[in-house]
Amino acid sequence: MKIFSLFCGVDAFQQQLEQIRPKLYRVAFSWSHNAALADDLVQETMIKALKNAAQLRDPALMNSWLFSILANCWRDHFRQHRDMDDIEELEDHRCIHETTPEDEHAQTQIVDRVRNAVAMLPMGQRQVLTLVDLEDFPYIEVAAILSIPIGTVMSRLCRARQSLKILLKELAPQQTARVSHIRRVI
Amino acid sequence: MKSNANISDELLNAFVDNELETNEKSEILDVIGRDDALKGRVCELRGLKEMVKHAYHHPPMHEAAAENVMRLRRPQYVQNIRRIAACVLLLLLGGVSGWFIATKSESRNHSYVAYVSRAAHNINSATGQGNIIFQVSTSNPLRLKAVLDEAESLLEASRHENRQLNVEIMANAEGVDLLRADVSPYGKRIGLMQAKYPNLGFLACGQAIRTLRSSGIAVHLLPNTGVASSAAEEINKRLQQGWDYARI
Repeated sequence: MKIFSLFCGVDAFQQQLEQIRPKLYRVAFSWSHNAALADDLVQETMIKALKNAAQLRDPALMNSWLFSILANCWRDHFRQHRDMDDIEELEDHRCIHETTPEDEHAQTQIVDRVRNAVAMLPMGQRQVLTLVDLEDFPYIEVAAILSIPIGTVMSRLCRARQSLKILLKELAPQQTARVSHIRRVI
Repeated sequence: MKSNANISDELLNAFVDNELETNEKSEILDVIGRDDALKGRVCELRGLKEMVKHAYHHPPMHEAAAENVMRLRRPQYVQNIRRIAACVLLLLLGGVSGWFIATKSESRNHSYVAYVSRAAHNINSATGQGNIIFQVSTSNPLRLKAVLDEAESLLEASRHENRQLNVEIMANAEGVDLLRADVSPYGKRIGLMQAKYPNLGFLACGQAIRTLRSSGIAVHLLPNTGVASSAAEEINKRLQQGWDYARI
């Protein structure tokens, strides 16, 4: 029955792509913190994967191959929109500082606090941190996905976690001092 | 023997991420057993790791994300045609060529990804027709000009060579400006190109138009311009039909 798999090869490939889509989206969102942009990036990644399927020699490497396409799409996005910025050092403070009352309320919650802290990390550190923590990629694969030396992966990860620790403390909701008043009732 | 002082942060991160060899891991575990401060550092790193994982466990989904899941799937009838074709071929080849099929399919199995690519790009090669879809996603006038120049030069060359070339220009996101009657810097040129090349089509992304309209912008497209439900869907469809794809 192998002939069926021969004819259904395209479907098998697409099914694999669909299975990996949520992982790609999660990482794309953690990089961009913008649902619409993350969705566009993932869709573009899928299109490029279909188009360049022949470049994938070993199907076992599909996961990291797709994430390297995603990393390239993300890099291209910045080249198109911010020609003068260096993606490695880019910090997008915008999403942090444009706060509304709703945002401020949301920031008291741990998820939003962590996302905000991650969003404040320089892009290079953010990419390494999310690939390691969200997708459990070994350092060697992160190095291949982002085309950087493994030593850089380790140092960026180290700096990312150090900064994250500090940022999470800074973003923690301030405890209002509770003053107890003793009132005379008699 | 290692102590807390000579365990660097990088090494500790590698320990938490399970990147160390067994002997290195054992050494660090020994120190952790003796040193509460190091234990604290490890707990802190593990806590951070868990918090990051938790923060993105359920990322907010974009409205289009659910639709996107379906975008890459081809229509049911296409799948059925392939399966029916497989059955017919099986009957034809039968036991006589069984050994041949086995060998062939085995080798295909290893390179099925290459087959995918060929299937995606060469379906129409027998007809001698060329097909290409361009995508433009930016309103940068240089890029808008580039996509028109590229399409025109290909169409002109194919006309000289007496070949049929179908070209589609898919404008999405900010690229929709190319096809907006009141905004496009190339409205007149597009009209001339449409008149000159009947095999040239212009499509605007429906999603981008909806986004513009929802933000209160009236969208009027140039004459003879089509609207696709979404750019990704149109590009996927064309790729599956064997078209070439270029993003400008």
